[in-house]
Amino acid sequence: MLASSGRFVPSPQGRIARFGVLGLLIVLVLAMPQLIPEVYTNILSRAAVYAVVALSMNILVGYTGQVSLGHSAFLGVGAFASGYTITELHLPFLFGFLVAALTGALAAVLLGLVALRLAGLYLALVTIAYGQFAQETIFNIREITGGGAGMGAARPELLRDNARYAYFCFLIVALVLAFDWRLTATRAGRAIQALRDDERVAASWGIDIARYKLLAFVASGVLCGIAGAMFASIEEIVSPQDFGFSLSLTFLLMTVVGGAGNRWGVAQGGILFAVLPTLLERAHENFHVFPFTLIRATWEPAIAAVLLLLTLIFYPGGIAQQQAHLLRWLSFGPFKGEHHDEKPRGGAVGARP
Amino acid sequence: MGFVFRTIVFGLQAGAIYALVALGIALVYKATGILNFAQGEFGTVAAYVGFMVLAGGVSAEATDSKGRLVLATIVAVLVGAVLGVLVNVVVIRRLASASPVTSLVATAAVTTLLASVQVIIFEARARRFPRYVDGGFELPIANVNVSWHTIAILVVLGGVAASLAVFFRTPYGIALLATAQEPFAAELQGVPVGLMRTIAWAGAGALGALGGMLGAGVFANLQPGLMTGSFLIPAFTGAVLGGIGSLVGSAVGGLVVGLTVALANQVVRTLDLDIPGPPQIAVLAVLLGVLLVRPSGLLGNRV
Repeated sequence: MLASSGRFVPSPQGRIARFGVLGLLIVLVLAMPQLIPEVYTNILSRAAVYAVVALSMNILVGYTGQVSLGHSAFLGVGAFASGYTITELHLPFLFGFLVAALTGALAAVLLGLVALRLAGLYLALVTIAYGQFAQETIFNIREITGGGAGMGAARPELLRDNARYAYFCFLIVALVLAFDWRLTATRAGRAIQALRDDERVAASWGIDIARYKLLAFVASGVLCGIAGAMFASIEEIVSPQDFGFSLSLTFLLMTVVGGAGNRWGVAQGGILFAVLPTLLERAHENFHVFPFTLIRATWEPAIAAVLLLLTLIFYPGGIAQQQAHLLRWLSFGPFKGEHHDEKPRGGAVGARP
Repeated sequence: MGFVFRTIVFGLQAGAIYALVALGIALVYKATGILNFAQGEFGTVAAYVGFMVLAGGVSAEATDSKGRLVLATIVAVLVGAVLGVLVNVVVIRRLASASPVTSLVATAAVTTLLASVQVIIFEARARRFPRYVDGGFELPIANVNVSWHTIAILVVLGGVAASLAVFFRTPYGIALLATAQEPFAAELQGVPVGLMRTIAWAGAGALGALGGMLGAGVFANLQPGLMTGSFLIPAFTGAVLGGIGSLVGSAVGGLVVGLTVALANQVVRTLDLDIPGPPQIAVLAVLLGVLLVRPSGLLGNRV
């Protein structure tokens, strides 16, 4: 049904159906910590961390078109900053998050300054070197990170229970999603996305390229720093080995598989990558029928890689492309819109320097 | 004096392999604009095929016969080329309309797949791997042992760089350059763009295989994911440092990264400093220093 403005407006029944499905989804998410066995509760918290990291990656990869292969550095900076604040400075738990967000922003701004001069894959390679430098050098300075022994990051009494901590993490994901939604709706958000499409055109519209690029890095760094603080308190200990290059690569994978540029897609991508190893393991242990009998410990990475390749080949826009109809319907649009195929967005790594 | 020579010897030892891998990365980038994260594993897979030729099976030990090693190299290079073409046809071509970052991620997935298949077939343990030339000689001034294997790698690197330089003077090479710079215009000139890209991938696979056979010799050991774990990231860094648009630049960049790492390690060892991760600091510093002054790398031209 079309309103007078030409915009689609769902019928009253359609409205009820959408509210119903959304409500069910929210209830399902909230029931998760109660539904699954207690040993896996921390995996839910990890999924929340990955969702926030994916949203952080999305600001750079999806909105700004910059590729980062060094996000493990931001996560680590946030985690150690939070640990140091809680354990060494004896400040309250939430101060850890504040400090993590600030140091994450600082770490990202330093990289953003480089991004003003370099673009595309040149920047991507610098982010790799940056990540390696953070892991091998910064995270091994004993005075601030505890060196190989690691840095504690104890939870407060209120969040001692794993399920409660999972709810706390869910709350942060909700806040970050809201932030992301507001970001894309503002002038700054539109300016950032204009940079992705064409920097020169954006400049000709009077958009201050340097300022908005740095802003995108700051926003991404703040989110990843917060994710680091969440991550630190899952196991309540952080060590430098947690933040290698393969983690950065996983972060990029989950953003692309989720569908760069789409917040619901990338968040699901993050969740998927957080739970997939456990899911494959559990499927193998519990189902003794054909496809699952193939899964052995050594086969897991191969299976995951094949699934990943199939997804990319058939849906280059990732999960967001697979769910395009559903996501549009849930956001009170028509199920079948005039845009039949959501074009994959984001990424300027191939832009020739 | 000894310090300088030691640094150069250690630097070239690692840098020569970085340079070989970097050449493959630059070749694919030049022809297709894709950053190929599977370049390392082309080498490891090819080296495992070479290992099977040497050992006559999956679980046996490799022989030391040099004749067999030459045969193994030929087979490995062919397999590497086929692997490169396969990745192009099965994965990369289908992603032509997607954003380049999707292709990058896809090649990373190929790496995971290839490395885990190696674990499935050959188990996660190291296998003894022979070198083309054994032994070494003592460099008199520096008190440092130079292995003949390092010399062999440098010779191969020089040969490969020279033949690529010659190739790019031939009509085929020029067609490949045209494909890279302006595929549409090249197509109008009658250049078979698809075929040229396939040739580039085959070349990268073959180069990767050479790198794998020589790289496994460096440690005299072959294990799953070897080329990615030990050489891929320095090679990428080298390619960008030297200028990924230039093949010579990429090779030079690979050597520079090797020398930088060696220098950082030597300085820290000589002065007995307590700094964590000296190579990482040095590589980041050199990379930033070079790119901020010359954003397209040492020998790269602005396109």
